[in-house]
Amino acid sequence: MGILDKAPMPGKLCAVIFLLDTSYSMQGAPIGTVNEAVEKILPELVSMNDEQPDSDIKVGMLTFDSEVKWIFGETGLVSPEEVRDSWNDLNVNGATSMGEAFSALNEKLSVKHGFMKEASCARAPVLFLLSDGEPTDDYQAGLQDLKENGWYKYAARVAIGFGTDCNDEVLVEFTGNRETVLHTDNVNELKKLIKFAVVTSSKVASRGKNISTDAENLEDADDNTQKTADAFKAQGSLIDNDDLSEWGAL
Amino acid sequence: MKLADGQTATVVDKLGEGGQGIVYRVRLDSGEERALKWYFISLIKEPQRFYRHLESNIKVGSPAPEFVWPEQLTEWTADGTFGYVMKIFPSGYESFSKFLTAHAAFENVTAMVDAALNMVAAFNALHSKGYNYQDLNDGNFSINPANGKVLICDNDNIMGHGEYSGIEGKSGYVAPEVVRGEKQPDKLTDRYSLATLLFMLLVGNHPLEGARTVQIPALTNKFEKKIYGTKPLFIFDPNDDSNRPVRGLHQNAARMWKYFPSFIKDAFCRSFSQESLLNARGRLLEQDWFHVLVRLKSSIAQCPHCGEEIFLESDRPTVCQSCKKSVTPVGYFKFGKRSNLDVTVPIFKGVKLYDYHMNSSSEDFETVSAVVLEKPGKFGLQNKSALRWNLTTAGGKNYVCQPGAVQTLALNCKIDFGNRDIAQVVANS
Ligand SMILES: Nc1ncnc2c1ncn2[C@@H]1O[C@H](COP(=O)(O)OP(=O)(O)OP(=O)(O)O)[C@@H](O)[C@H]1O
Ligand SMILES: [Zn+2]
Repeated sequence: MGILDKAPMPGKLCAVIFLLDTSYSMQGAPIGTVNEAVEKILPELVSMNDEQPDSDIKVGMLTFDSEVKWIFGETGLVSPEEVRDSWNDLNVNGATSMGEAFSALNEKLSVKHGFMKEASCARAPVLFLLSDGEPTDDYQAGLQDLKENGWYKYAARVAIGFGTDCNDEVLVEFTGNRETVLHTDNVNELKKLIKFAVVTSSKVASRGKNISTDAENLEDADDNTQKTADAFKAQGSLIDNDDLSEWGAL
Repeated sequence: MKLADGQTATVVDKLGEGGQGIVYRVRLDSGEERALKWYFISLIKEPQRFYRHLESNIKVGSPAPEFVWPEQLTEWTADGTFGYVMKIFPSGYESFSKFLTAHAAFENVTAMVDAALNMVAAFNALHSKGYNYQDLNDGNFSINPANGKVLICDNDNIMGHGEYSGIEGKSGYVAPEVVRGEKQPDKLTDRYSLATLLFMLLVGNHPLEGARTVQIPALTNKFEKKIYGTKPLFIFDPNDDSNRPVRGLHQNAARMWKYFPSFIKDAFCRSFSQESLLNARGRLLEQDWFHVLVRLKSSIAQCPHCGEEIFLESDRPTVCQSCKKSVTPVGYFKFGKRSNLDVTVPIFKGVKLYDYHMNSSSEDFETVSAVVLEKPGKFGLQNKSALRWNLTTAGGKNYVCQPGAVQTLALNCKIDFGNRDIAQVVANS
């Protein structure tokens, strides 16, 4: 082996974790849209990995309905290529066990026994939550534990509320920032919104730019959720959208 | 979109997107195509000032052809945004990031060393025009893997002396004193970033990421400051081995460091010494890198045992990393020092000398001016230049070598290459 055969530089882990509501109310067009959106996002994550040598995006995906299941990540995070190549459409089933989903996430966001076992100089995780309803279990207990989790605090947290039955206030509690909760009642818009939210937050988290030299700003500098909110604002008017017919309720 | 010169630029499609804006392919009235960078205006701190800054850079002009320089600004739109046009990147180039993710590789060792030389030459041109880069990182370069030519993109944060873009730069590339908040980016901090990029290009890992840093689970700002600012430690620091590359993780560094000759290792050790990291002292100037890298280029030889390309030391044995056999040249050419750095070329079959060696003021590292030949029992130097060489033996005899001819070499002889740049043939005992 010669000097030109170099191995890839080790990228810093950037966990992109999907928490997807697959309760019965998502049946039909909504779940179809989620499936399509995820399929569209994966190649973008693959190319982000190609373009950013110092970051390594890995994916975890949890669905919650009457039960909570890691579709990807049960035995560790996987590369976006792997998810892309083994992706299978999600199906719906039962209630909205969001609290249980929070507990499952909290369990995995750990260095001792979870996704972060091999984390070394990891970048902020992306925590993406999608729901169309009201939790049917006691979500508070799970959420309070999660809020104590250092990875949760460090993360870029974003959420999308879909449909008129969705309680966005729960989502705001999850992200801790009203500006990173997006909402739509329109299935066509949902796909674009999911892609926009996941891609933008993943860029913010994985880029690792702009070291803060301002000592007082150390806390702010680690507020990746606020950074994501800023990026949403910067690009909001430029959402890649060719269906401009629907403005929605004012 | 209206341009400053009155032409209209019409958007054709999207070329890419970065943190600061989107880049579109546009067609001008003249029919020519350009790239238009369109800013996310809310991310720019002082848009008016930034606009004037770009205006001034356009007026002063590009430091060297390698820079994809802003050509023209657009007018401000009604909602207060703007952009600028530049040439579209030519084909054949791959972003430096792709080399680092192993999605692109150099076709040969010469192309890799040329890429390093071209980077250094471009920064020399930049600094001598009074600019500094401020946000130098792997996203700014594209390299042609066939010939090592470089393009420098994303030039909008380049500043004149004393100006400060407000962009704080990508962590891991910014000089430690900037990370510590002691200084704003300038020429000296650019030099640090350049050394980091050269290390990543040649060795293939980050110079400060090793055993010490892998223990940190999350790269929060606190740790980022520590690793790259307050407690930085070079992975090959000769006095402290606590941050060495980790097997299986920093694979390139562990493997590639051994390939490089001592003078390159010394240059990196100097660039990332504690003196340099903590006190900004002892960093190599662009000129220094230039001489060191030309020396590296003219040390490229083929291993006589296995045929692999190696960097051959002039005055000591080199272990070929492919076949693990040792190779020592019979001797070397010793030139006058440049910028107080040694200039030597090993006497070994196939080794090349460049115009750089013929003339002590030449910076041409591409034109081959001489090639070392070997016959049983003797070595010769073929004159590929247009110059008449004069050789003087140790005993005082004179020989003339015309262009195209081959000069047999002898111990302790001196060669005057025609520009009073004289090399002495030194034997390895
Ligand atoms: N002149 C050009 N010709 C072709 N493509 C270009 C040109 N300039 C930029 N691009 C494309 O647009 C992308 C974004 O451009 P650029 O890196 O300048 O944006 P940026 O906002 O400064 O990004 P960064 O966050 O890396 O600083 C590039 O990766 C490249 O693919
Ligand atoms: Zn060999």
